[in-house]
Amino acid sequence: MNLFFFIREGIIGLKRARMSALISIISLCLALTLIGIFSLAGINLKDVVYRFYKEIEIEAFLDPAIQNSEIKEIENKIAGYQETASVRFISREQALKEFQEIFGEDIGKVLSENPLPPSFRIVLKSSHSTPETVEIIARELTQLKGIQEVIYHKEIIQFLHRYLTIGVTVVSIIALTMLIIITILVFNTIRLTIYARRNIIQIMKLVGATNYFIKGPFIFEGIFQGLLGGALSATIIWGISRVIISTIFPELNIENYFYLLLLGLGMILGLVGSYLSVNKYLQY
Amino acid sequence: MIEFYNVSTIGLNAPILRKISLNINKGEFVYLIGKTGAGKTTLLRMIYMDLFPSQGNIIVDKYSSSTIKRRQIPYLRRKVGVVFQDFKLLPDRNAYDNIAFALQVIGAKRREIKSRVLSVLTQVGLNHKRYHMPEMLSGGEKQRVAIARALVNEPFILLADEPTGNLDPEASHGIVELLERINKSGTAVCMATHNYELIRLAPHRTLVLDGGQIRQEIMPDSLKKIQGTS
Repeated sequence: MNLFFFIREGIIGLKRARMSALISIISLCLALTLIGIFSLAGINLKDVVYRFYKEIEIEAFLDPAIQNSEIKEIENKIAGYQETASVRFISREQALKEFQEIFGEDIGKVLSENPLPPSFRIVLKSSHSTPETVEIIARELTQLKGIQEVIYHKEIIQFLHRYLTIGVTVVSIIALTMLIIITILVFNTIRLTIYARRNIIQIMKLVGATNYFIKGPFIFEGIFQGLLGGALSATIIWGISRVIISTIFPELNIENYFYLLLLGLGMILGLVGSYLSVNKYLQY
Repeated sequence: MIEFYNVSTIGLNAPILRKISLNINKGEFVYLIGKTGAGKTTLLRMIYMDLFPSQGNIIVDKYSSSTIKRRQIPYLRRKVGVVFQDFKLLPDRNAYDNIAFALQVIGAKRREIKSRVLSVLTQVGLNHKRYHMPEMLSGGEKQRVAIARALVNEPFILLADEPTGNLDPEASHGIVELLERINKSGTAVCMATHNYELIRLAPHRTLVLDGGQIRQEIMPDSLKKIQGTS
């Protein structure tokens, strides 16, 4: 009975204050859409950069005269590092084949002997792909017996790392600032909606409604506004993501639960906003 | 039933009351008269505990202003009906729903709501207009709906703050007659007004408020005297 009353009054409230409810829903929708876009940008930026990180390899060249048993030993040692994501052995023959594939020339015709040494190609876990870690690992590798030389693309790693850090920081600061501003705006809009109807709160108080009964309808109204704003925002983001996937960025990663999160976040914003606002008018 | 002991208010956002002591008995009809700003509304608000005294104590039924807890206030208000000059009806629902709302918000059952609302609508003579929206009702009818809403919880007292302030003399007389009938059926009435004509029409104990103090208490039989001095 109570729940039925709250829901019915919540819906009546939405209808009664159509204009202000619409403004609340639109501001919630804009808020959620911006938060959604920034989250998606953040997730996908990280995905893209991690994909680059996976391409970055440390190459450790071995002594051409190295024994198979020693190769195995070094491989086990490298694979044992906690930073290592993968380690791959490239034999002299494989190296020659790759050289020919890349340069299209058979150096066997020029040189009587294969000059390319065997090597290990090591990929670090993306969480450890900072320039400092890569440098430490490279130094450790150099000190291993049987390894002659270690090379890696120091500049690319430094470049990527610097810009990823800046990018993530900037996106996070903007997103956080926007989240704060938007939350305040949304809460204020809801507060105005409730302010415009403070007479109903006054009447409820006069006839002896408990706080629980006064808050109920407003909280349900806030939840409905949040859900509508969330649904609208999910539709907009779905539309934008379709356009982005079909035009500029087919790899855009957007999970289905993301839309549910938007609905949930909308509901929470609506609920908390209306709860806080109605509380303000409940001083006896 | 209602007792004020040396009640003063200082520093509230309302006209000041000074050392007010009074009592309103069960089933009594009392007028509060005085100029604007004399403290009539403040006094009424203290009865339904919308304001609290800074000194003194107020007893309303079993509740005391100095010991009542916030969560008890709604239960006190269910026993004190209040009507205002501006009716305070919800414009988006009809007369029936305006009255029913007072029962819905205290969690009454639907069947109980229906019988009680129809009963008070009959009492105020508006059963035939129960589906009219407030905008379709005259001022007097709106005030009757507001009175019905205040009565639907069967309060022991009805507080009326200038209930005829927005009404023409004929409608005002009708409202006072209705309040008289309500009072005769056992509900106490405390009405703030500055319409002395109405008091002469239905004389009852009258408290004259001025500058936050009760200057005079006039019994019904000597009311003509105050008429002469006003």
